[in-house]
Amino acid sequence: MATPGAQRILADGLWHNNAGLVQLLGLCPLLAVSATVVNALGLGLATTLTLLASNTTVSLLRRQVPAEVRIPVYVLVIATFVTVIGMLMNAYFHALYGILGIFIPLIVTNCAILGRAEAFASRHPAGPAALDGLATGAGFTAVLVVLGAGREVLGRGTLFHNAHLILGDWARGWEIAVLPGYDGFLLAALPPGAFIGLGLLLAGRNAIDARQRRRRHARAGAPAGGEAAA
Amino acid sequence: MTLRQAVSPHLRPPRTVGGTMRLVLYALVPGVLGQLWFFGAGVLWQIGLATATAVATEAAMLHLRGRPLALFLRDWSAVVTAVLLAVSLPGLAPWWMAVLGTAFGLVFAKHLYGGLGHNPFNPAMVGYVVLLVAFPRLMSQWPAPAGLAGGAPGPIAAAHAIFGGGVDAVTAATPLDAVRTQLGQALTLPEIRQGPLWGALGGRGWAAINGLYLAGGAVLVATRTADWRIPAGVLAGIGVPAAFLWAIDPSLHPGLWFHWASGATMLGAFFIATDPVSAATTPRGRLIFGAGIGVLTWLIRTWGGYPDAIAFAVLLMNMAVPLIDRYTPPRIYGHPRGGGHD
Amino acid sequence: MTEGTARGTVIAATVLTACALVGAALVALTHRETAPAIAANRESAVRERLTAVLPPGPFDRSPAQAPLQVRAPAALGSRDALPVYRAVRDGKVIAVVFTAVAPDGYGGAIRLLAGVQRDGGITGVRVIAHQETPGLGDAIEADRSDWIRQFHGRRLGAPPAEAWRVAADGGAFDAITGATITSRAVTGAVRRALVYFRAHRERLLTTDG
Repeated sequence: MATPGAQRILADGLWHNNAGLVQLLGLCPLLAVSATVVNALGLGLATTLTLLASNTTVSLLRRQVPAEVRIPVYVLVIATFVTVIGMLMNAYFHALYGILGIFIPLIVTNCAILGRAEAFASRHPAGPAALDGLATGAGFTAVLVVLGAGREVLGRGTLFHNAHLILGDWARGWEIAVLPGYDGFLLAALPPGAFIGLGLLLAGRNAIDARQRRRRHARAGAPAGGEAAA
Repeated sequence: MTLRQAVSPHLRPPRTVGGTMRLVLYALVPGVLGQLWFFGAGVLWQIGLATATAVATEAAMLHLRGRPLALFLRDWSAVVTAVLLAVSLPGLAPWWMAVLGTAFGLVFAKHLYGGLGHNPFNPAMVGYVVLLVAFPRLMSQWPAPAGLAGGAPGPIAAAHAIFGGGVDAVTAATPLDAVRTQLGQALTLPEIRQGPLWGALGGRGWAAINGLYLAGGAVLVATRTADWRIPAGVLAGIGVPAAFLWAIDPSLHPGLWFHWASGATMLGAFFIATDPVSAATTPRGRLIFGAGIGVLTWLIRTWGGYPDAIAFAVLLMNMAVPLIDRYTPPRIYGHPRGGGHD
Repeated sequence: MTEGTARGTVIAATVLTACALVGAALVALTHRETAPAIAANRESAVRERLTAVLPPGPFDRSPAQAPLQVRAPAALGSRDALPVYRAVRDGKVIAVVFTAVAPDGYGGAIRLLAGVQRDGGITGVRVIAHQETPGLGDAIEADRSDWIRQFHGRRLGAPPAEAWRVAADGGAFDAITGATITSRAVTGAVRRALVYFRAHRERLLTTDG
């Protein structure tokens, strides 16, 4: 199987095949921990790190692992990395670990990770596999952070609340009161806000894609609409 | 050019959507007058705010979706949504609540699903629940009923409270809230009902308002605008479990009359649950749909965390409508029961 | 079974075992390296919480160390033993912090910390876990409103024990608007902790526990 180029891998992970917005994978943590930018970024980075490590390892092992036991091996690899990353976060980002709680160990069950191991890493060399892990993770993190930013601004009127939990004490003053004196639109901070926000992001992404497709058609002289409906 | 297709029997429908919706609005009048009497002129401001928002939102959304404005604006459905939401709000709630709730309900629950006829959820109740979840404190601050703390606020006082920010009128716990809070204090119902909030059946004012909505609802049922099965189901769904527990221990469980005469029971049963778009459509299905709303309302009122439960119950049952309709097809003439719908 | 598939099975089992062993080793190694840091983090998190409900330090040792375990279902609201932390200065216990549970919150049990000085005065109360309604009952969190701070400086007697209730029940403490049940639960839990302190003062204030 031909290995796609770096540009293609990045574009797929970030946009065309985005784990959150196109594959709709990993929605449980995506919806649960996107109430603030910092929580979203924390979970996004932990997931990206797991993807990077698991994709690289699975790719390196791809010739050694017999097909019959490949899924148990992938699960072992992923579970090991998630446990290690969880311990490291507990040791060095204790407060953030406390906030993200059960969703760090639950990264194991994020189907996007097993999906990338099976669909990409097990078929391609380590370099592209690592890049794919990074791109998929970055795409997932981007969705988390955008959703987190929207919910935080609407829900509590701030941005970067608790930034020091990820970035250290020098980020203590980072919290921006976007809407000073704002009481907070509680709905955005609660679970329904996550669902509505994700729905709007999906709609936005589809609208951008549809618009680009129309433009491409217009340039090619073909009638619009036909493929846009697909 | 589109060819108009119609299936037999070719009867002229007796009423247009607009006509039906206007009838619903007339039927709401007695209840609104009751609210005006007991809780002051705030309700009129809320209706005005919600209606203006509804018409503006409807026009904007129709324009964005490229639909004819005049045709759909004249069906009055947006106005009915607005009025149903407005009468559910505490009379002196700040102005932006009616605006936000109406706009949210129409944009998210109606037009994003494809407009009138396609919305699985009742738009008025979506708007109400959004406000309830986001601002539970403001949504539970009802003005004290007239006669308890002087007269109800007039139009100027109400406008001051709604647009001036902050409720400076006297607020009182609603009867539903009071019962829940005081039962938690190990008081018994006869003790609770010694309080000044209470009338013969339920809360002072609330019982009369529910009676007036019942009268309006009776008109809807008599003119076949609303199917009797839905309100009958709702009232039975609330009343049966309430009466059952009340019979076991009347000092701890408010009975049927209290539930029927409190909160938005009659408004919900006759005007909200009967929304033709989001309710079940088969005859048996409507009974089940109504009963589901009733039982859920009673459950959430008894054990839930929010002031009233009609809205949650309606939305939950809206979700069940496709399933209900699927399993309750009416028997087709000449076919055996349970068969022949494929 | 042919020899080929048997060999395949052995290879598969070997690979799987090897992966499991390497994974376990990696986890064990990380655990050994991070365990002290994690334990220190846990302790400092407890210490930070205690600081909010204790008078200002310094203390002889961290109050998070070696708490008493007290089992008092009626007074502290839990069938399990709950930690009671002690702040020691110059060899004398100057304040204790109860972990108390209000079992009658609206959304279930509310866990709180209540700091009490030698003389029975409250040095601070903080809620550490609850499931109250967002926007109503969650005002018991110190980040969301000042409600929980009204207990600071109060004691049994000021107000008198029978007035340790919310205003709706004829007591001296304001209830949170729209969350009378939650306020009542927290106030009751604090009162019961104070009554327990008065009854067991001697034992709680002895340094050797």
